[in-house]
Amino acid sequence: MAGGLTLLAGQSTGMAGLAALALATPLALFGGLYSVLLGHGVFRPGTFGPVGLYWMAAFPVSRLAQEILAPTGGLVEGVGPFLAYQAMIALGFAIGFLWVHERAMPHWLMRRAGDNPLAKELLEKYLRFARVVSARKSARKGGR
Amino acid sequence: MDTSNTPPATATPPVEDQRVWKAGRLEPMPIRKLPDAPPSVHILGPTVFLVALGVGMGESYMWPRLVLLFGPEIRWLFLIGVTLQAVVMLEMARYAMATGESIFSGAARVFKPLMWFFFVVAIAVYIWPGHLSAGAAAFEEITGIPWVVTAIAGLILVGVVFTLAKVIYNLLENVLSLLIGALVLGTAVVAAMVGSWGDVVTTISGMFSIGYLPAEAMTAAWFPVIVGACAFAGPSGMQQMWYTLHLRDSGAGMGVHQPKIRGLRHAGEEEERPNRGFMFDTDDPAEMAKWKGWRRWVTFDALLLFWGITMLVTISFTVIAQAAVRIDPAVRTAIQGDDREVALTAMSNAVSSAGSSVLGVVFLGFIALIGLNATLGLFDSFSRGQADMTYNFIPGTKKLGMSKLYAIFLWGVIIFGILILLFGPADGPSGILDTLAFLSTFAMGAYCVTLLLVNNRMLPKPIRPRWWSNVIIGFGAVFYLGMLFYSLFAYGVVVG
Repeated sequence: MAGGLTLLAGQSTGMAGLAALALATPLALFGGLYSVLLGHGVFRPGTFGPVGLYWMAAFPVSRLAQEILAPTGGLVEGVGPFLAYQAMIALGFAIGFLWVHERAMPHWLMRRAGDNPLAKELLEKYLRFARVVSARKSARKGGR
Repeated sequence: MDTSNTPPATATPPVEDQRVWKAGRLEPMPIRKLPDAPPSVHILGPTVFLVALGVGMGESYMWPRLVLLFGPEIRWLFLIGVTLQAVVMLEMARYAMATGESIFSGAARVFKPLMWFFFVVAIAVYIWPGHLSAGAAAFEEITGIPWVVTAIAGLILVGVVFTLAKVIYNLLENVLSLLIGALVLGTAVVAAMVGSWGDVVTTISGMFSIGYLPAEAMTAAWFPVIVGACAFAGPSGMQQMWYTLHLRDSGAGMGVHQPKIRGLRHAGEEEERPNRGFMFDTDDPAEMAKWKGWRRWVTFDALLLFWGITMLVTISFTVIAQAAVRIDPAVRTAIQGDDREVALTAMSNAVSSAGSSVLGVVFLGFIALIGLNATLGLFDSFSRGQADMTYNFIPGTKKLGMSKLYAIFLWGVIIFGILILLFGPADGPSGILDTLAFLSTFAMGAYCVTLLLVNNRMLPKPIRPRWWSNVIIGFGAVFYLGMLFYSLFAYGVVVG
């Protein structure tokens, strides 16, 4: 799911050809890995800190892979400044990623929960949050 | 807390709490239970409206332009502007979440004419469809479709969608979230491809050059532009006030006791609307614990989502602008002029030559997206705010219901917008432009004063703002009004 989302981000540039594909592919893989780790309980849904750190490592690696496979001239200042710059941008990417991911993930889990126990377990977590919302709605009805 | 307590008439406990909280001269607020705060970030997200309204031309155009003209050191003013707005957001949320009322109702509790001032300003400033033009012009660059056609089609589409929606808030939150998510992800990718470590270091270090103001900035030509850019750092004009309506309608805090606004097609299903907000028992430690949970939730929203995203988008766009000038120095000349479209096209071309032609189109796509976000957000917010004030404070309008009032204001502004796009100047006749710009910035100073009065006089003592928060909001009033009047008296010009 997350892979699909990151691919979507890459998709705008995807048409540019190899350069974009070289970025979209690692981003999609890292996005997918995030979802797997979320399923295994390494990450908690909706928390920013760990996701920010994750992408601070994953995003520069993805960009480096792109520069090696299909150079766009980003390495002119040297590898160090390049990676540092990408790590800073990665924090912004992480905010957008988490936001879109959190909105799309439950829909995907509902489809996968039937035959995937990890997806089922994760869906349960999201359902617990949904119950809180539901409880608040009942409170609204009782409140007036 | 200071409440009047009516003892229960029978031995059996009452179903509803009979106590009330008296605030101002309007109807007192009954005491009700505060709902539990959400445990995580992703359930509710009214901040998305502020981000949609806040991330506009100020972030994508005005500030990158000032950086190219005066250097990155000028960005300290942006840091102050956005940080101030984050604190304003927290304080607006305080009243809305504690009572389930908008800040307009809070203002009416203090002094009714104060509320009518905002009612009139909203109509004067926001009825002009000028904000559509930049987004539509960017769309024209990509597709060749004339911008007036796109703008009118956009206006009608917004009207139809909001009319058919079952619950307008839910629809809009979902649409804006996806649009902003795409904007944030995409801007980060473009900035990663065209920018450099040097660009981002100068952009960020410039934010801490507190006090830097070059001689050129202190001229009649540029000072008003800087005042405008400070006011447009983050949400400008009345957008922070409208945020209280979105908080209420998202069910945050005591907003849970208020019904949601439905689209015109579903107006018949509207639930009964109470005349006033509610208050929770601030003497009850369990209720105060829940309140602290809500404050944590909104603080997270203010700092990460609002402050973080606004900062990120503007840093990305500034980095892109700096890269654009490095690639094509002619961009600087284009950006010095007043023609926004030319400057954005020049930036897009420079970005294209850095990456690929597609990157340039993506860049213009983001500008179109920002225009679309602003249109959706502004039309909804304007109609929501005006309907709220009309419903609560104009006798006889309750019969119509909130959904119909919302639809009247929405279609009113759409029809007026279409007529102006076809037959008149979109930003309004040039003679009143100055007045509108003045009013917009003046409203920001005025809402800081209103906020201080409402939060410190209308809320129970345990949930009033801390002293440092009052100091920051007070500074906000001096900052906006001071710069505005200085510009007016020193240079005879209001806001650029």
